[in-house]
Amino acid sequence: MAGSSKKIVAKTRRVLGLFGDFDQAFEVIAGIRRYQVPGLTVDDVTLKSPIEHPEIEDVLGERPTDIPKFAFWGGLFGLVFGFLFLAGAQANFLVQPQGGKPVITIPSNVVLAYEMMILFGVLSTLAGFIIGGRLMRKSSGLYDTAITVDQIGIVIEVTDKQYQPLTELFKKHNVIEMHEEALS
Amino acid sequence: MSDRKHLTREQTKDIDENIAWASINTDVLRSMENPRRGYWVAMAVSVCLFSVMIYAEVYQYMYGMGAALLNTSHMWDLYISTFVFWIGMSHSGTLLSAILHLVHADWRKPIYRFAEAMTTFSLMTAGIFPVIHLGRVWNFYWVMPYMTDRGIWPNFRSPLIWDAFAITTYLTSSVLFLYIGMIPDLAICRDNAKGWRKPLYTWLSLGWRGDDRQWRNFRFTYLMIACFLIPLAVSVHSIVSMDFAMSIMPGWHVTTFPPYFVAGALYSGCAAIITLFILLRYFFKFEHYMTFPILDKVCKLTFVIAMVWTYLNLVEFASVWYGHDIPSKEVLIAKATGPYSPFFWGMMTFGSVLPFSLLSKWVRRNMYVLFFASIFLNVGMWLERWMIVTPTLSLGYHPQAFNVMWPGWTEWAMVGGSFGWFGMLFLIFVKVFPCVSMYEVKEMVFHRKRTIYEDVDEMMTLHSGVPGPKAQAQTQTSGGA
Amino acid sequence: MSSLLGNIFKGWSDYTKGNEEGGHHDYEHMYAMVIDLDMCTGCNACSTACYAENNLATVGEEYFGARQAMHWMRIERYFDEPNVGEAEADTQSRGASFLPMMCQHCNAAPCEPVCPVAATYHTPDGLNAQIYNRCIGSRYCANNCPFRVRYFNFYDHQETAWPAPMEQQLNPDISVRSKGVMEKCTFCIQRTRAARNTAKNEGRAIRDGEIQTACQQTCPTSAILFGDLLDETSAVHQAWKRHQVQLGKYAQNKTNPELRGYRIFEELNVDTKVLYLERVREV
Repeated sequence: MAGSSKKIVAKTRRVLGLFGDFDQAFEVIAGIRRYQVPGLTVDDVTLKSPIEHPEIEDVLGERPTDIPKFAFWGGLFGLVFGFLFLAGAQANFLVQPQGGKPVITIPSNVVLAYEMMILFGVLSTLAGFIIGGRLMRKSSGLYDTAITVDQIGIVIEVTDKQYQPLTELFKKHNVIEMHEEALS
Repeated sequence: MSDRKHLTREQTKDIDENIAWASINTDVLRSMENPRRGYWVAMAVSVCLFSVMIYAEVYQYMYGMGAALLNTSHMWDLYISTFVFWIGMSHSGTLLSAILHLVHADWRKPIYRFAEAMTTFSLMTAGIFPVIHLGRVWNFYWVMPYMTDRGIWPNFRSPLIWDAFAITTYLTSSVLFLYIGMIPDLAICRDNAKGWRKPLYTWLSLGWRGDDRQWRNFRFTYLMIACFLIPLAVSVHSIVSMDFAMSIMPGWHVTTFPPYFVAGALYSGCAAIITLFILLRYFFKFEHYMTFPILDKVCKLTFVIAMVWTYLNLVEFASVWYGHDIPSKEVLIAKATGPYSPFFWGMMTFGSVLPFSLLSKWVRRNMYVLFFASIFLNVGMWLERWMIVTPTLSLGYHPQAFNVMWPGWTEWAMVGGSFGWFGMLFLIFVKVFPCVSMYEVKEMVFHRKRTIYEDVDEMMTLHSGVPGPKAQAQTQTSGGA
Repeated sequence: MSSLLGNIFKGWSDYTKGNEEGGHHDYEHMYAMVIDLDMCTGCNACSTACYAENNLATVGEEYFGARQAMHWMRIERYFDEPNVGEAEADTQSRGASFLPMMCQHCNAAPCEPVCPVAATYHTPDGLNAQIYNRCIGSRYCANNCPFRVRYFNFYDHQETAWPAPMEQQLNPDISVRSKGVMEKCTFCIQRTRAARNTAKNEGRAIRDGEIQTACQQTCPTSAILFGDLLDETSAVHQAWKRHQVQLGKYAQNKTNPELRGYRIFEELNVDTKVLYLERVREV
């Protein structure tokens, strides 16, 4: 990030704070929303949790996801491609004389195109999940196994100036543990 | 401790909300370790059964299909009926995870994982049968639509091709559904794994860190695939029913077959869930998660589906009886009075009468009785499939071809071996993957104990003697950290 | 790509054209049969001839008893219900009624759409053909055949049916099927092909009566007629016309109910191409 002209403030380190329950973590986020750490907004916050809190969107604000689009276009592709593929295969099956019977059989192709729609819809949704969820890529080293047990983590990138107020905010809300790593 | 109460038959809550999150992890992870002697015995039995199947298949490969005692009228028999049976079993997982997920039925959470695994493995078992029943099994890939320089394609008009498409789609989707739903749990496994498990779970969990972004995408993905799976499951078993309904044979050419098959599929799937529920609860000591109230709900669901199945069965009989299709009527009468009648009445007894026992609370709370009842429900459903396939073939249209046949040894070997294969897969699954969804049980517990008022929390502590959610969060944190 | 889409549209227009013109428009021939049951003596010569002509394996007593035999042409015996006090059903004084039964070469064959690999299909000759090489043995076709005239090779019979030097008598014009393959009457397609080639070499059309099936050739009473229904001068066409039986109908409209011609399972609308002439019996 250093040298990036877009960033007004260069972030120097990444901090992970672990909390005992959602309420404490949410208090921290509320604190950030109240600008208790200058220059940080709620969009800088990454929440790590063992489950998804049902009201997470009220706390973090709405964050978009593209999964339904992936599902829709995948399904549509499967339907159209499936039908054309089958119709093309049947029409080009010239080795087999049909004796005047229909070459492209709509009812059976509808059944098969339906299956293809679901198959491609599911595969495309999976692709959307991997892309959208940023899975299967190298992620930051800041992680604690307690997150998969029962603790809630908050990850924020901060500058040196913001580090002190953030630690205070964390400690005010009973942070259990803090990890940090330097950003190159 | 006061929470002993939920192990008893008087428990009314689906799950005890005071289970600590950390203990959910330890309980489930413990079930994946140190297989005991019973496990190895079950594994040995499964492998033996499966070896018999392999022997039979090798024999069939070398000498032909004749040892199955199939004949010119009876070309399918047990191979196809067992195929339909296993396809049916696979529908329960979808019902529990997808439909109950959409309607927000909380109680599915502790039990849907193994039901989904059952879906996947019964599909893998079912998929064997259309292949091994082929006369020239080595050419099975000819049903796949691949390009060749000869311009030869499969016949897309054949219901068997629809089967191939539907089963491929269903297997892919249900494996992915099972897998995607398991990713957060695989991350838990990764964080606790040692030895060979570590790289396995690290790779499988795809770098899951529990980020809010990951959870959000996860929620949508799971929902979308659930939405895809419900129509898919319905279409799969209606397509299987079309193997019969699209033919012209009396007793097969029935309009109500698709819904009838779907109902039968859900029915046998639910019965199998009860069986596995009891086994897992008993052997893995999952009393805290697989509780009696949940079992109660599954039993009631099974009963309702059994009644739907019975209704569709009676509709089919009535429409044949009052119709004017003489061959169909002859097949129906022969089912009830002919050489196969003991099996027909067995199917009616186990399928339509036995489920009434699920109405009794005593049966629902008595695991031994319930275990055998659920086994016999599935025996009834297996007989149902046999009674669909074989009596029709024994009569058909042409009087010269009327005959009664009994399955040969290769058929029985395949049927038995399919259970061995299924058991093998399932036994491997329960030791490699968590068969209770940890993160969703946590969600369930979290939802149930969530209070937003401090004073309520204190009052709860005061009355129950158990620390309230907030206080408990405090203690479990210090334990977990 | 263009040929792919082009063929889709061509297939579509062929189909609509066929629909408007009543379907089944691109047949070159329509081979059919007439069997006069009044002339059939049940001697089984046709069945034997079929075994010899088409390389049918004799399966032996055990497999025959298990109904795993493969007799493309079989003589079925039907008896009247025995009257009370009379002789046993098998030894009735009036004897049996015989029905030579083989593949009926249905024009709307139920076996064709269900084959997953298109191993059975309709040729432009109007025949229901079986491609042994393509067959994977799913046996769906046999299950869907109301006549049960499709036979499956449950075993390999080469060694037992034709021990050396018996293999010398095999018909070289037709393959010997191996295990796992479905087979059935082809109306002696090898003879049809031979006649077609001869006619082509001589630059003429196939003459009626030029093609004889093995069963027809062998029948001592000439109960079997074989020929092209599309050829209006053929004996088969004449017989179908005489008995007022038409293709493509599931109920015939006969002006004279005394006419003996009928097709088996006409009501199933499978449109068979074998016309049976009813046996005449005194009441």
